Amino acid sequence: MFMGVIMSINITIDGKRKRVDENSTILDVAGDSIPTLCYLKGVNNIGSCKICVVEIKGQDNLVTACNTKVKANMKILTNSEKVIEARKKMLNLLMAGHDCKKCKSKGNCELEKLAKKYGVKKSGFNGHAIKQNKNPFLSYDSQICINCKRCVAACKKLARNGVLEAKRGYVQTPFDEQWRESDCESCGNCAAACPTGALSTKNDLKYTKKVLTTCPHCATGCQFNLLVRGNKIVGTEAVDGPSNHKRLCVKGRFGSFDFVHSKERLTSPLIKTKNGKFRRASWDEALDLIASKFLEIKRKYGADALAGFACSRAPNEDCYMFQKMVRCAFGTNNVDNCARVCHSASVAGLAMTLGSGAMTNPIGDITNDVDVIMLVGSNPEEAHPVIGMQIRNAVANGTKLIVVDPRDIGLTQVADIHIKLKPGTNVAFANGIMNVMINEGLTDKKFIKSRTEGYKELAEIVKDYTPEKVAKICNINKDKLIEAARMYARADKAPIIYCLGVTEHSTGTEGVMSMSNMAMMVGKLGKPGCGVNPLRGQNNVQGACDMGALPVSFPGYQSVKDEKIIKKFERAWKTKLNRNPGMHATDVFGAAINKDIRGLFIFGEDPIVTDADQGHIKKALKSLDFFVLDDLFMTETAKYADVILPGTSYAEKEGTFTNTERRVQRVRKAVELKGNMRLDTDIFIDLMKRMKYKQKKMTSAQIMDEIASVTPSFAGISHKRLDSGETLQWPCTSKRHPGTPILHVDKFSRGRGWFYPAKYVPSAELPDKDYPFILMTGRILYHYNTRAMTGKTKGLMQREGKSYIEMNKIDADKLGIKDGDKIKVSSRRGSIKTTARVSYKVSQGETWMPFHFPDGYANILTNAALDKYARIPEYKVCAVNISK
Amino acid sequence: MNLKRHCQPNNNDRKMDDTALKFDKLKHTYIPGICPLSQTLALLQAYISQSCGKCVPCRDGLKQAETILKSIIEFKANEDSLKSLKDLLTTINQTADCAVGYGAANTILASLDLFKDEYELHVFEKKCSSYNLDCAPCVSYCPANVDIPGYISLIQQNRCDDAVRLIRKDNPFVCACAYVCEHPCEMKCRRNILDDAINIRALKRYAIDHSMRIDNPKSNVETGKKINIVGAGPAGLTCAYYLALMGHKVQIYEAHKKLGGMLQYGIPNYRLPKTELKRDIDMIIKHKNITVKTGVKVGSDISFKKLKDNCDALFVAIGCQVGKKIRLSGTTSAVEMLGLIGDGKLPNYKGKNVVVIGGGNVAMDAARSAVRCNAKSVTVVYRRRQCDMTALDAEIQGAIEEGVEIKTLCAPKKIKNKTLIATPQMVSVFDKSGRPKVVAANKDDIEIKCDVALLAIGQDVAQDFSKYMDDKVFFGGDCDYGPSTVIKAVAAGKETAVQIDEYLGYHHKFGEIIDIPDANPNCRDLIGRSEISTVAADKRIKNFKPIEIGLSEEEAMQECKKCLRCDVYGCNHVD
Repeated sequence: MFMGVIMSINITIDGKRKRVDENSTILDVAGDSIPTLCYLKGVNNIGSCKICVVEIKGQDNLVTACNTKVKANMKILTNSEKVIEARKKMLNLLMAGHDCKKCKSKGNCELEKLAKKYGVKKSGFNGHAIKQNKNPFLSYDSQICINCKRCVAACKKLARNGVLEAKRGYVQTPFDEQWRESDCESCGNCAAACPTGALSTKNDLKYTKKVLTTCPHCATGCQFNLLVRGNKIVGTEAVDGPSNHKRLCVKGRFGSFDFVHSKERLTSPLIKTKNGKFRRASWDEALDLIASKFLEIKRKYGADALAGFACSRAPNEDCYMFQKMVRCAFGTNNVDNCARVCHSASVAGLAMTLGSGAMTNPIGDITNDVDVIMLVGSNPEEAHPVIGMQIRNAVANGTKLIVVDPRDIGLTQVADIHIKLKPGTNVAFANGIMNVMINEGLTDKKFIKSRTEGYKELAEIVKDYTPEKVAKICNINKDKLIEAARMYARADKAPIIYCLGVTEHSTGTEGVMSMSNMAMMVGKLGKPGCGVNPLRGQNNVQGACDMGALPVSFPGYQSVKDEKIIKKFERAWKTKLNRNPGMHATDVFGAAINKDIRGLFIFGEDPIVTDADQGHIKKALKSLDFFVLDDLFMTETAKYADVILPGTSYAEKEGTFTNTERRVQRVRKAVELKGNMRLDTDIFIDLMKRMKYKQKKMTSAQIMDEIASVTPSFAGISHKRLDSGETLQWPCTSKRHPGTPILHVDKFSRGRGWFYPAKYVPSAELPDKDYPFILMTGRILYHYNTRAMTGKTKGLMQREGKSYIEMNKIDADKLGIKDGDKIKVSSRRGSIKTTARVSYKVSQGETWMPFHFPDGYANILTNAALDKYARIPEYKVCAVNISK
Repeated sequence: MNLKRHCQPNNNDRKMDDTALKFDKLKHTYIPGICPLSQTLALLQAYISQSCGKCVPCRDGLKQAETILKSIIEFKANEDSLKSLKDLLTTINQTADCAVGYGAANTILASLDLFKDEYELHVFEKKCSSYNLDCAPCVSYCPANVDIPGYISLIQQNRCDDAVRLIRKDNPFVCACAYVCEHPCEMKCRRNILDDAINIRALKRYAIDHSMRIDNPKSNVETGKKINIVGAGPAGLTCAYYLALMGHKVQIYEAHKKLGGMLQYGIPNYRLPKTELKRDIDMIIKHKNITVKTGVKVGSDISFKKLKDNCDALFVAIGCQVGKKIRLSGTTSAVEMLGLIGDGKLPNYKGKNVVVIGGGNVAMDAARSAVRCNAKSVTVVYRRRQCDMTALDAEIQGAIEEGVEIKTLCAPKKIKNKTLIATPQMVSVFDKSGRPKVVAANKDDIEIKCDVALLAIGQDVAQDFSKYMDDKVFFGGDCDYGPSTVIKAVAAGKETAVQIDEYLGYHHKFGEIIDIPDANPNCRDLIGRSEISTVAADKRIKNFKPIEIGLSEEEAMQECKKCLRCDVYGCNHVD
């Protein structure tokens, strides 16, 4: 073989001559003629079961086709008598302890299929079985295990976790009594790999149909089949999607359908009576009431006294219709979505510096064959688990990893460098990195000259941020800062991957722009394996923003301040539009208290739980004249509504989600439930009509066609193209355009990239003697935000169901607090009781809480200090006091 | 009436002798992690197959013991099973006729104590602690975990440069080990199941003889951290090399004039040519992150404290270079003598009778060096038997070929009038170490002509730096665990480099990825093992020139072909 060139060779297989690549295995080239059992493509080819044996002319012993490479002039017989005899004997040996008639996997077992095919009869169960089944989702029974080790390989190679151990004769799983303490993430990739069901999920997966859809949790956008039996979803089956490649996490695999069928689903419109309780109502009554109340507010106080929050978990079509309703029927630009509180800083920041606020490179591109990954303020193993698995994979294959995070997150175990910086000091960190890059001559001068502007101003600011100074501000070792700068700058392919640790600050937008500053300074944009990559949170938060559920943007980020654009939409939507830019969601609450906003429609959001400073939110909602909520469940926020409308989940409708890498993927209807729920698009269209805007009824596919007609970056996207198997990342500007994997290739979306001159500004509320600890907040693997969906899956609640706070051991010792103690945590905004988790994961003077749990809501404590550009709250830094 | 009894072994018996050789080979081929109870069962069955069948305890009792042991292994036993097994074996021991019966019983009884935890795990928790290492037995028994199947397959493809690169990922002393490694890998080579262990050290020698120029792999950017290392032996230099690849700056302090520790000052040139050692050392010290200061003794020429304060971490790797002493006047240190030879100062033993007291590799090195320094006679005096000597068999054989007299079971008593008086010993009862004690044999003392008496009974650390224990101070190599092998020191150096990196707060990756060829199907033909040959004894004693002759290409390729690729075949691991 010449270097890099794969030669073709001739072989003979079953008498036929064939020309094949010399690097192929016999199985690769044999097509369907060879049966397999322990083989799992890309995961396991250890030659254990010997079912795939074939005969090679000139060799006495049989070889396993799955892992034997072809050689020139090889003569292969795939089904000779000798081969068939061997297969039968192997099956006999395997079947020696099995009884298909009595087995739970009957009808769904690869061993059973082969035994039938080769006429091998059952022998009968024997021996002592090892059962490990305390994990709520997964169980293992060695009695029907054939020791193929597909599960061990799936855990080690796909999930890159490695918690299954192959023993001699059985598999030691982490599903026994210690299941909570083990490192197992219950992702179920092992069960998906098992051919006999020895290691299986606990739900009964007998299904009558499969529906291919996109996961409703995070923005990784994993593809899976919902398995439906009758009218009930009984499970999921991972699919080889472009962002997940057959992987799923515990939420996608087990937490994505129980909530759909929950008994707590709202099934009828509800109107609040005078005594504060809710009564059932018809759609006509409810919608007429809303229309009349909103029109009244509009008449008395102007259209800008109304506002709407779109659901970032709802499909693009829903979000588009929602913002159209707010703009055309309500008559205001006061529409927003929960990106406001997570990645609005990215959308705003990158739009300013690069011209487009989205992730620049695809997930597969930044986790495969890159030299260095700089991971800033991101904990993908918990927040984007399937991306976390792919980063682990990259590291296992030699990619160097720099983790910039105030906590010892899982990935710090394998990080070359961990920069454990003080929360809120990102801009100083980035300026420090750039100081080193400039001083050591590591910048890409050609790129800076030809593709950017504003370098001089930034370089002048950055001069001040010496490693010594930055080390003091960030409380880190200056050598690590210098080394990180060198590592990142000198690498050929190095992406910056960042998340809410960068955005959720009162200086979040500047933090984001500092990320693009670093990348631009070394020319790492617009090419493979590089870029600035925000990992978006919700399954369709990217889409909600794309669809214009934003106060300053129409669909496709077309500005509401641009007269030409406004006129275009007035023509398209056949109505006059409001020229005032809208109010950001986080400002709406203050405005409600001031009575500037009087009517609010919230679609699928729970700000009482998710927004900072819960007390402030409660006060705001109470101040509204009329408050409508469209949701699946009676959430904390719903209790404050005047009218509640029952919507439909992702599994009950058609539509599309856009994941973090700008990929538009299909969501498909799997079940239709009993009850008086309606498609959310139908609700909005109906309300629009009742508010005197003529909106004709449209299917989801028709709505996408309308989106394409008004949004240049979506012009080529349609359900038809997506259903035919195409996968499209916007911008996709015409029907033949294949989509755009990497942004800013020859020029930035705004022309030249802009170096934003960011200076470090401390966080809004720093610790003092009354409130001496920093509190950071975030999410954990097992739940999504409010737990509206994940809370309905029992197993997830069993794994983690209670509020807790991470504290440093030295701090805890000083206060006499032990791990597990119940303690009180207070801030200037409120006080909660929670449980202490003591370790060295956080630094002294710092603490961290997940915000999911009602027995100690973290957001009672957080500070709604808003960023000046994106109005994002400072979830990651506020001051608290801890006592026993 | 035919009174003739069958006293001669028949045809089957002769064939069984051949088969029994397979048992002998199998003792070398247990891969790490196998359940010890399964080995115990196999052993019991071997005893049972030798039962003559006369007495009940052996013929019937051992069979019952087998049933109980099987049930324990299959997780079907309970507490009573353990007790009944113990009682049964005790009774067999007390009543069986012959050594097959009571030998079996005692062995299995001993296993109940030796593997107590394992028995209890099987019985009470129905679990087995057997584990599967992610590597072949040769790799796991190599202290540095060198990828042996990998480099053998690279040699087979004539990619000797890549083979050397692959070895250097885990062991930078490729040339030194090619000459002097004690090859624990070969002791576990599974080729033994078919014919013999692969001559792995010889293949390493072949690789270095046929590799052209190679460069150090690309290292990380500079980290700004500085590490001081005391001692430029294999542990110190290996640690320096990997720290340098990680991007750290390293300063080495060496008391001797030259680098290499015992490789330079302990092992004579005929065993390890210094030109080959230089190849290894030069590759390491040419790295831009490493600087070396020789002729500097830490503790006298420069203070330990100053060194410690002037770095981010400190590694003490000073080895064990001082010979132990016994109460016998008139002796000098063999280690010192070898050390002087390492600096080029050969002693003149012309006309002298040299005695070397000891039985390890140092004793053999001293004896064979004495031969080459024109000694009139060289005698090795050792208290135990030749099979108890810790020196490699090849060294002892080489010494004998060169005319060294080995006097075993001989305890030195006094040196007087150019004579060593020694008391003959005899073997006695086995002691706790599993070796027979030696006691005076009650024979007459013997007299050995002795002008020079070299003591080679072990080594000690030269300086005790343990009072400077600190989080940032690390100890490794011989000075940490006592005199041992080169490869163990290399492993200690590499391990310490990783520990220092973690102590400094990192997990730096280092090294390059090398493409290992796919595994060929096993070559099942039985093939003899090619051995390294040596220069004829009468020629080689004239000087210190290297004595080993490497394998030819035919021999090397034949050895490579035999590799069973246990990293792929027969290894219950997941990649």
